[in-house]
Amino acid sequence: MNKNPYMPILATISSIKLESTGERPIKTFKMVLQDENARKNFSFLPGQFVMVSIFGTGESTFAISSSPTQKDYIEVSVLKYGKNTQALHQADVGDTVGLRGPYGNSFDVKGWEGKNILFIGGGIGQAPLRSVINYTLDNRDKYKNIDIIYGARTTKDLCYKDEFAEMKQRDDVQTHLSIDVEEEGWDEFVGFVPANLKRLNPSPKNTIALTCGPPIMIKFVLQNLEELGFTEEQIFTTLEMRMKCGIGICGRCNIGNTYVCIDGPVFSLKQLKKIEGDM
Amino acid sequence: MVDQKLLVEEVKKIVSQEDVKYVIGYKKGTYGFAISPAFAYSPEYVDKFIFNPLCKKNLAVYPILEEKLPLKKGEKADTRKIGVIVKGCDSRALNQIIQEKGQKRENLVIIGIPCTGVIDQKKIISKFPNVTDYTDIEEKNGNYKISINGEVHNIPKEELLADFCTSCVAPNPVIYDILIGDEVEPWEPQEHNNLKELNEKTIEEKWAYWEEHFQRCIRCYACREACPLCYCKECMADMLTPQWIRRSVNLSENTAWNIMRAYHLAGRCVGCGECESVCPVNIPLMELNKQIENDVKEMFNYTAGMDVDEKPLFGMFRPDDPEEFIL
Amino acid sequence: MESLVLSKNKLPELINKISSEHILYGPTEENNYSSFKQILNFDEMNLSYLLSRVSPKSILFKQTETLFKFIPGRKGSVKSSEIPEEKSVIFAIRPCDARSFSILDGVFNGDYEDPFYISKRKNTVLIGLTCNKPEQNCFCTTFDDSPGSSKNLDILLTELNNNYLVEVVTEKGNNLLKNMRSLLKEASKEEIQERKEIEEHAISTINRKMNLEGIVPKLDKMFDHELWHNTAFKCIGCGICTFLCPTCHCFDMQDEGTLKEGARIRVWDSCMYPEYTHHASGHNPRPARMNRVRNRVYHKFSYFPKNEDVTACTGCARCIDYCPVNIDIIDVIDKVGAILIE
Repeated sequence: MNKNPYMPILATISSIKLESTGERPIKTFKMVLQDENARKNFSFLPGQFVMVSIFGTGESTFAISSSPTQKDYIEVSVLKYGKNTQALHQADVGDTVGLRGPYGNSFDVKGWEGKNILFIGGGIGQAPLRSVINYTLDNRDKYKNIDIIYGARTTKDLCYKDEFAEMKQRDDVQTHLSIDVEEEGWDEFVGFVPANLKRLNPSPKNTIALTCGPPIMIKFVLQNLEELGFTEEQIFTTLEMRMKCGIGICGRCNIGNTYVCIDGPVFSLKQLKKIEGDM
Repeated sequence: MVDQKLLVEEVKKIVSQEDVKYVIGYKKGTYGFAISPAFAYSPEYVDKFIFNPLCKKNLAVYPILEEKLPLKKGEKADTRKIGVIVKGCDSRALNQIIQEKGQKRENLVIIGIPCTGVIDQKKIISKFPNVTDYTDIEEKNGNYKISINGEVHNIPKEELLADFCTSCVAPNPVIYDILIGDEVEPWEPQEHNNLKELNEKTIEEKWAYWEEHFQRCIRCYACREACPLCYCKECMADMLTPQWIRRSVNLSENTAWNIMRAYHLAGRCVGCGECESVCPVNIPLMELNKQIENDVKEMFNYTAGMDVDEKPLFGMFRPDDPEEFIL
Repeated sequence: MESLVLSKNKLPELINKISSEHILYGPTEENNYSSFKQILNFDEMNLSYLLSRVSPKSILFKQTETLFKFIPGRKGSVKSSEIPEEKSVIFAIRPCDARSFSILDGVFNGDYEDPFYISKRKNTVLIGLTCNKPEQNCFCTTFDDSPGSSKNLDILLTELNNNYLVEVVTEKGNNLLKNMRSLLKEASKEEIQERKEIEEHAISTINRKMNLEGIVPKLDKMFDHELWHNTAFKCIGCGICTFLCPTCHCFDMQDEGTLKEGARIRVWDSCMYPEYTHHASGHNPRPARMNRVRNRVYHKFSYFPKNEDVTACTGCARCIDYCPVNIDIIDVIDKVGAILIE
């Protein structure tokens, strides 16, 4: 038993996938815990996050983007931004990283069985949603309609292109992609994600809506969902805050008296509306 | 001594000007000898303004602290001027900032007050501990006359005077739009504190002296935040790529911080003493600053913040600049 | 609770005895202020100051702590982690500072246990010293505390005219004194009375009080009030309040070391700095001083009471005494109380 909650366990990067090649590229890292026992004991739920270390550079927070149904490994998708994400982008298959977690609460995927699920993602915000998407697709018979609205700035910035292409072949899941500005050869929606949502006009009946993306996108998606008749209890999002400890001690991820690391990161709109704080 | 009435009257006029947003001055603090910075948006508020020898804080730090948050749609930037009350050293800070293009002269209304030196809070509190209030404090005939609970105490000026005031080269404001009161007679600047003795020490002794001080540093960076000239958008101490200074609080990193801070103020420090006054662990930072000030004076015949039209020391080059310190 | 007396001239013997068996921290003087340091000999101590400049939280929650060591790089690994086990004693801690530990316990022993703080906390005996002369901004009595309170201590000493009254509060305190009994004798009724009078006198000299009544619900309605702008206007963001505060506990984590070996350290951080919440993306949820000042006040007087059932303030007044711009927390809370809201 590891008594030091700040000490990571070791994992090996077993594969790296370049997801997007825009101005800020995104890579998905598949990581396998080195210790067999740790691997057996590691379990998580969609929506939870992990702290990933490159020893000597530092530690950062990432949503787990794989599904718990995918055994023996976890995946995180990393947008190249700061010091730690740059170091991760330079990593190779076979490299060692440190992992802590899983932390935080999760999406209530069990409670949503028998319902339609609507995903609305933007940019790297698709990462935590991907965990739920893969989970629901792996338990396809338990859910009704599955719709995925996803957009990015340009085609280069679109994440998980191969997976979307695969989903297009299936008839039990509908995808609705968009890019912000017209590009040659693009035959799907052009415009912002909230606009695509409005255009598609999904019915709130027996439906759960999950959204994640840049703060400005989330703001308008929430507005539009409510206009479409979704109630506060039907809408869920996952928040991001700067974190250091991930376990409710270091004090920086609070929004009001809510700590995103232990009370979140997943919130219903109903909960979100009750929180008064700096976001 | 500044005429309180005149001060309030003049500041009221300035606050009333349409092109002035607010004026920064001093008011009595919430307890004891505390002084609080005060921001007057309306003439009525100016009645709270005071000026006495306790008004040590360099208010030149405030115009640069003004936060320019992103404007909302249709919102126009408020371009009105900021008024600020300054003593001699504070005015040098403004000069220096204007030279460096950190502030525009036309955005400021500078209200100068000639100064005969300010009281060190630490000294007065140790002299009069637990005093909850005072009625009056003024400088008279080389004494501070302090009225507390109806009792008048006459304390020799040198017992309470802030150390760095004895080496002051500009008791009178060097830049202002309006001067409150008459200019004071400058005094012969003295060598700061024990700088002379410190200079006679060997390198090893000097190192030991500073090690003893730097090991105490808690790296709160209050010295930086209080300094009107520490206004870099991103301080090298906060940078992560590259990380110049590690976050660990130990002698090595503390030394790196303190020396880098002092060097970044070479030819820029105006000697207002804010860094040293706010330091919660009493590091004699002014000894470092003053030494560098002396070196700059000796090598380049330059004194920071004296002339608004001059170029900053490290923004100019003269063919005859000394270079023996370049390795 | 047992009341004993120690004659003043026996104090050095007691201290030296404790320091021979434990790591002993006590107040020392350096450069005209007091700070807690490890004491090897009684003479190193200076008991004439009321409060240390930096609070003794720095003993249990070190400013820089090694969380674990590692071999850096892409083939790196975790080397070791050591949880401190040593037995220590903090001597002459003031009742308000002792109370800060009771407040911090909830943070470090919440959903997850912080073994560094908790281990030191368990292995540390707190010997308090009554504040015979509180200072001008002291306001511990606001929090049902007192300059002579033994509530959060293992042993409390009170300086009487000729002796120290020694109150043994906990079993931990009792154990510490086990083989020092020869230095102590039973306290007389008069001595216990003298101690009581000293405390009462000390309480009577406390001038300042914060009115906390109704502050938590009031703050709920005041998040967007102009008071926060007005208070933050003079704040220069120096962070002294957070560094000296006995209940501030926020930290940063960083990797440091050489190319061959390194350590993940944690180091005190301050919510008064803009970098504190700055996201790598450039977004900052608390971009202005207003946000940061407000968060600090809310954290102590709203979030803490809501989450931990205690106000995160001890009344030590360090933040008042050392704020360079006179942001006075009593004044701020009084203003909150005075504002009328529908």
